[in-house]
Amino acid sequence: MTEKNLLLAIFEDIDPAAHAVDKLRELGVTDEHVTVISGTPITEAMLGRKPQWSNVTRFALGGAFVGLCVGIFLAYGTPQLYPIVVNARWIGVPPTIVVMFELTMLLMLISTFLGVFLDSRFPNYTPTEYVPEISDGRIALLIECGGELEAAVEAAMKSIGAESVKRAQAEAL
Amino acid sequence: MAISASALPHAHAESHAHHDHEAELRREHLMLDPKPRGEMNAMVMESMTTTSWKFWVVAGILALIVAVALFGAWGYMISEGLYLSGKNRPGYWSLFLVHTVFWVGISHAGTFVSALLRVFKVEFRRPFTRAAELMTTFALAQAGIQIFAHMGRVWLAYWMFPIPNQRQLWVNFQSPLMWDFLAINTYLLASTMYLFLPLIPDLAMARDRSTGWRKSVYRILALGFRGTEAEWTHLRIALNIFAFAILPVMFSVHTIVSWDFAVAMRPGWSSTIFGPYFVIGALQSGVAAVGMVVIVIRYTMKHMDYFIRKEHFDAIGKLMLVISMGWAYFFFNDYMIQWYGGDSFTDALLHFHEAGPGGWIWFMMLITNVAIPWLVLWNRAWRRNPVILFSVGLLINVGMWAERYIIVPVSLQINRMPFLWGQDFRPGIEVPIFIGTVAFFILLYMLASRFLPLVPVWEVQEGQMAHSIRKYGKEPVVTVAELE
Repeated sequence: MTEKNLLLAIFEDIDPAAHAVDKLRELGVTDEHVTVISGTPITEAMLGRKPQWSNVTRFALGGAFVGLCVGIFLAYGTPQLYPIVVNARWIGVPPTIVVMFELTMLLMLISTFLGVFLDSRFPNYTPTEYVPEISDGRIALLIECGGELEAAVEAAMKSIGAESVKRAQAEAL
Repeated sequence: MAISASALPHAHAESHAHHDHEAELRREHLMLDPKPRGEMNAMVMESMTTTSWKFWVVAGILALIVAVALFGAWGYMISEGLYLSGKNRPGYWSLFLVHTVFWVGISHAGTFVSALLRVFKVEFRRPFTRAAELMTTFALAQAGIQIFAHMGRVWLAYWMFPIPNQRQLWVNFQSPLMWDFLAINTYLLASTMYLFLPLIPDLAMARDRSTGWRKSVYRILALGFRGTEAEWTHLRIALNIFAFAILPVMFSVHTIVSWDFAVAMRPGWSSTIFGPYFVIGALQSGVAAVGMVVIVIRYTMKHMDYFIRKEHFDAIGKLMLVISMGWAYFFFNDYMIQWYGGDSFTDALLHFHEAGPGGWIWFMMLITNVAIPWLVLWNRAWRRNPVILFSVGLLINVGMWAERYIIVPVSLQINRMPFLWGQDFRPGIEVPIFIGTVAFFILLYMLASRFLPLVPVWEVQEGQMAHSIRKYGKEPVVTVAELE
C-alpha cells in the first residue's frame, strides 16, 4: 500500500485557495482527500467543491416529531392519568395547541443544537492538524496524498501562492 | 490582508481623499472598512483583557447592591413572608409580575435584533448581535428571579415540573401560568443555545490568541472547533434553523405572558389584541435597551469605536421610532375598543387610569413611549447623537415599566366587584428586589464583557467580504453579494 502523507498548505486569500483545489484535482488528489479549514465560513461553491453532507436538518425534524409526541402526551395523556374535570369536559383543544407548540419547538431546537455537536464530533480535545493562523484569516488546505505525490503537491501549492506548505502534525489545540 | 473583499483595495487610504464620497462611505460603514482579520481579532481580545480599576470598583458596588438589595431582601422576605411585598386585596399580583413582564420584554431584543435581522439579511446587525443575544439570556434570568420571588415558598418551585409528586397531581396544562412556564423556559434554553452556537468560532479565536487560565477555559468552550468546511456547514444550517424557529417562540412567549391577563374576564385585561400589543411592547423596551447597551459598549470598551459606529446608532434609532409607532397603534386599538364598548366597569377603570392617584403615570407612559421618540428620532442628527439616543432609550424603558405598572397593580384596583375596589397601590419589598435585578443584569453583562468576545468577528468579516463599492457613472454605490 502506498504511504499517505498529510500536508498543510496555508493561503492568505481565497482566490489562490480555489486555484489550489483545481490544481490538486489535476494532480490526482480528489476532493475527499482535501479538507478546507478557515476562520470565516467559505462556502463550497466559492472553492468549486461539492456541498458538505449534514444531518443537522434531520436531527431538527426528528426532535420536532419527538417534541410533538411529548406535547401530545403532556396535553392529552396526563389529564387521563389524573383527571381534573373542568366545565364538564376533560380537555379543551385550544390550550393543548400551546403546549404542543412549545414542546415541538423546544425539542426541535435542542436537537438542532445537539445535531451540530454530533455531526461535528464536538467536543473533540484530541490533538489535531491545525495552525492558529487560520483563525487570523488564513485558509488552510489539509491534503492527504501518496508519498510519491508529496513533492509535486508542495511545488504546485507554492507556485500558486501558498504562504507555507508543510507536513501536518497533530497538536493540542 | 487575509480573506478580504478584493474590491476594497484602498480601505485605509482615505486620508488623501478626505472629501471623496467613496472615502465618506468607508468611514461611515463598518462593512466597507475592512481591517485584516488578525487585527480585528487583536482588537476584540484587547477589549476583553484591558480592564481598569474603575471597572472593578463599579463591579464591586454592583455586587454589593445585588447581595443586599436582591438576595438580602429576598431572603428577608422568605423569612418574614410575602406580606412584605405590596400584595394585598385587590392587588394580588403586585410588582413582581410587573417586573417579570418588564424583563421578559427586554429579553425580546436579542432575538429580534439577531434572528429577525439575520433572516432578512440586514447587514448593520453584524457587530452587535451578540451584545443583544447576551441581553436576552441575562434578562430572562432576571425575569426568572422575579417569578421565583413571587412564589414565596421558592423551594416548592418543582411543583411546576410535570413529574409525579407527593400531591398525586399533575400540573394543569390548560392554565396560562403553565404555558408561561413552558414558553419562558423554551425561550431561555433556545436563546442560550442561539447565543452559544455563533460564539464557538470566536471562542476558538480566543483560544488561539490567549494563554494561561483563559486558554484553558476557551479551549474547553471552543469544543475543538477548527473551522473545517463541514463544521461551518453544520453551524450555518443550525443558525438558519434557529433564526427561523426562534422567532415564533419569541412571539409566543410574550403572547402567552399577555394571556396571563387576557384570559381573565377582568376590565382592562380581557382583550383579543393583548397578544400583539404585548409583543410590540416587548420590542419597544428591548430595542431601546439594545440601543443603550450598544452606546455603553461603544464608549467604555477599547477599540469598540471601530466596530460600532454612528450608522448603528442611526439604524437602532430608526427601529425605535418605527416600533414606537407600532406600539402607539396597538395601544390606541386596545384603548379605543374598550372605550367604545360601554362596559361600566371598563369605563371606571379607564377613568381610574387617567384621573386616579396614578394618573400621572399614565400620561408619563404616553409621553415617554410616544411623544418623546416621535419628537426626537425623526431627526438624523439626533438619532446619531449617543447622549440623545441613550436618553430616549432610557425614557422608553421607564415608559414601558409604567405601562406594565398600569396593567398590573393599577388595573387590579378596579374589578367587577365594587366592594373590592382599591384606590392606591403601595409597593413593598419588590422595589429593592427589582433594583437588585437591575444591578445583577448590569453586573453579569460587565463580567461577560471581560470574558466573551462581544463582537462576532467572523460575522463582521463575512459581512465585509460581501460588501463592495461599485461606480454607476460617477456615483459610488454600495453593493452586497449573497455569499451563502
